[in-house]
Amino acid sequence: MRHSPWVHGVAVLTLGLALFAAGLALGAARWVDALAGSLGGEVEMTVYLAEGQGQAQAEGLLAAVRASHPGVEARAVSPAEALQRLGAQLGDLGAALEGLPDNPLDWSVELRLPRPDRSPEALASLASELRALPSVSGVDYGEQAVARLEGLRRALRWGGLLLLLVVAGVTVVVVSATLQLAIYARREEIEIQKLVGATDGFVKAPFLIEGALQGLAGAGLAGVGLWGAERLGAPRAAELAAFLVGPAGLPPLASPWVLLQLALAGLLLGLAGSFVAVGRFLRV
Amino acid sequence: MIQMFHVEKAYPGDPPTLQDINLRVEKGEFVFLTGPSGAGKSTLLKLVFAAELPTGGQVLVGGHNVGRLRASGIPYLRRNVGVVFQDFKLLPHRTVAENVAFTLEVLGAPRREVEEKVERMLKRVGLLHKAGSFPPRLSGGEQQRVVIARALVNEPTILLADEPTGNLDPALTVDIMDLLRDVNIRGTTVLVVTHDHSLLERYRSRVLRLERGRLVYDGMGPP
Repeated sequence: MRHSPWVHGVAVLTLGLALFAAGLALGAARWVDALAGSLGGEVEMTVYLAEGQGQAQAEGLLAAVRASHPGVEARAVSPAEALQRLGAQLGDLGAALEGLPDNPLDWSVELRLPRPDRSPEALASLASELRALPSVSGVDYGEQAVARLEGLRRALRWGGLLLLLVVAGVTVVVVSATLQLAIYARREEIEIQKLVGATDGFVKAPFLIEGALQGLAGAGLAGVGLWGAERLGAPRAAELAAFLVGPAGLPPLASPWVLLQLALAGLLLGLAGSFVAVGRFLRV
Repeated sequence: MIQMFHVEKAYPGDPPTLQDINLRVEKGEFVFLTGPSGAGKSTLLKLVFAAELPTGGQVLVGGHNVGRLRASGIPYLRRNVGVVFQDFKLLPHRTVAENVAFTLEVLGAPRREVEEKVERMLKRVGLLHKAGSFPPRLSGGEQQRVVIARALVNEPTILLADEPTGNLDPALTVDIMDLLRDVNIRGTTVLVVTHDHSLLERYRSRVLRLERGRLVYDGMGPP
């Protein structure tokens, strides 16, 4: 690095910016995950029994669901309770229900699902399993809301992956370009090393170390940037999101785990860049 | 020590640089390799330390067939072959001691061993007092002695010298040649490339003469 400190400085800065962007994207994804997790806590499934089905069928369904899905919290809702709830929801209009000659509602079963069963696939599978039962007339679990949330998570996941690939590409190109200069600056030394019997590993090792150090230094810069961003922007974001994610708040941008991931990513990308450089420009 | 059987070296599009070279250099010999410019002297030397590979025939160095060596085996061959270049190939930003130590550092020798061997070698070539100097501040003869020290510091069994006195005045030439003779007396096989006929007269040793890529003379003293 002492041969061209400015070039290496620019390389480390570029790596730092790229990893900072990746770190921000990772933080945003984790925020959306936290948001999705908190919304996911509301996922309930209501199973409506067919007309003419009574308490015995409702309790039979409860027992069957509890046996096949042990983590599910389930309770039966009588037509009377359902009508009472509807009245409460309608407010002043609820009085109109009192004039009905018969209770038009049927027995239903409410299921509160454990976290592993909240994925769109698991929900759809359970719903179709229940819809197939002859005693069931319908199943409702807010399919559209769940599907949109999952779409958002998927978009973030793919977007993050794309950003990671771009960052990886930029890092590899920048590191290999700076190491190309380093190899050129040390070409005489490399020639003499080879003539006096240096192994390939001995000649290549300093450049691999240099690439790894560049990656680590870039990760350090990105870590400092994330820490600064958290100090400046995260309190306001947490305030805005508090009503959605609850008292636990948003996950930190620059947690030790995130910093460790950044360091590892910087190290691996720096090494990848140096492998490309020594492979292309250092034929020993 | 060094054997060549029907060795050929040709580069695409050019006439062969070396043709049907057969020779045998025994352990502890001092051999001059001479001939006009472009005769193939340097190429023959490069075959010995695997800087080039033969396009025909076989080159054996210390029992190893150079043409069949894997790339990973070449460094280990070179550790037994010290090379002295006419253009020195010294690192200008390293001191004399650091240049000499370079060979041992590459081999991963411990620091204390490096210091001891470098000091001993610089004393032997008469440059201990210049250990901290940088090569550009040394005379041509001194630089050549640093190169010889670097080539010998890990005690190779073969020393190849490509025109080691080509840039030196007569006094320094004698100085360097005496040093190479001394190295040979201590058991190292020495192969010196030169086109200086006076050296062949002064140091009566075995002489190999190349002309147009062919070995045309192999005998004691100048042809």
